[in-house]
Amino acid sequence: MKKTSFFSERIKPVIIMAVITIICIALVSGIHLSTQDLVIANEGLVLKKAVLFSAGVNLPEANSEINSLYDDRVEQKGDVFIVSGSSGGIAAYAFIAAGPGLWGEIEAVTAFKADLKTFAGVDFIKQNETPGLGARITEDWFREQLRDRQPPLVMNPEGTESSDAAEIDAITGASRTSEFVLSIFNDAGVRAAELKKEGM
Amino acid sequence: MASKAVKTFITPLGKENPVFVQILGICSTLAVTNKLENTIVMVLGVIFTTTLSSFTFSILRKVIPARIRMMVETLIIATFVIIVDIALKAYMPEIWQQLGPYVGLIITNCIVMGRMEAFAASNPPGLSLIDGLASGVGYAYVLVIIAFFRELLGSGTIWGFSIFGEWWTNWAIMIMPPGAFFMLAIFIWVVKGRVAE
Repeated sequence: MKKTSFFSERIKPVIIMAVITIICIALVSGIHLSTQDLVIANEGLVLKKAVLFSAGVNLPEANSEINSLYDDRVEQKGDVFIVSGSSGGIAAYAFIAAGPGLWGEIEAVTAFKADLKTFAGVDFIKQNETPGLGARITEDWFREQLRDRQPPLVMNPEGTESSDAAEIDAITGASRTSEFVLSIFNDAGVRAAELKKEGM
Repeated sequence: MASKAVKTFITPLGKENPVFVQILGICSTLAVTNKLENTIVMVLGVIFTTTLSSFTFSILRKVIPARIRMMVETLIIATFVIIVDIALKAYMPEIWQQLGPYVGLIITNCIVMGRMEAFAASNPPGLSLIDGLASGVGYAYVLVIIAFFRELLGSGTIWGFSIFGEWWTNWAIMIMPPGAFFMLAIFIWVVKGRVAE
């Protein structure tokens, strides 16, 4: 059997491993740093879009227009986003409402009209629900049905499409997710009532 | 040489397909195939990773001592997967959110490391690149077929566009993980039982 030296047996593997590790780390860090600004901008844009959508503002296509519209219309006070109407005055108060979901935390932006009792709308900024079932909370019909509703809400089977201000439709096959988002909405209603007491 | 390259490319597509012959990479086959769009992004990530990992490892194969071979393999795979993850996060944030942890889990996809061990460790870089690419494509087309039927039957849509319209009742089972087991089993039955004979 060939006799191997201490160096090639013990030292060389460590050196090679260290060199390869350093190269890989440098590569990943380089790419991370070069895309960091874009990632932060993306995350900011998700929130801006959600605030405007939930307040019922029509979203323009281009990202730059969304940014300028947001700067124009939204004022942040603490963790509450105050959205003004197109002709002045306050159109909606929006804030982030979070709660547990089926697989992970759900974060929504909930917006209330100036009376702080009626939903202007909602949008979801973070969710890990089952695609095709629970994740359908992000579909237009589900988000749009919250407009002009008044919490506390109750849920009907999907397709009921009740016009009662306290009723929304659940999602078939996603009972747990529906319950989770319902409690997020109702907690948001409580929070909105508190904001009103604080004199918003 | 040319015929060997062709053979290297064709074998993983059929006779030694990683999914329906070797039954590798099943976890992601089950997890990401309920929507076609997510599946396409996922398989592109896997093709990218398995191609470049095999290629890189093949270049380094004579330098790396045998005892640290697997550590280096994992490191190379992880590097490419993180690159995919960062690229998605920066350029396709919505799909990145939907795929969640599954992109990171490409690291543990047995096809990637399996091809490095079985092929790239003992073949030149050019052939390893072809083998990695073909293994990725062999994995990809099976997933795309499964995703096509799961989305069609489970949501009545293809790529988010409604196909069946209002009257269709969604098969919730197809969206959930058990649906993937059924689809995969049917796929293997059709391919191995009917076509192969």
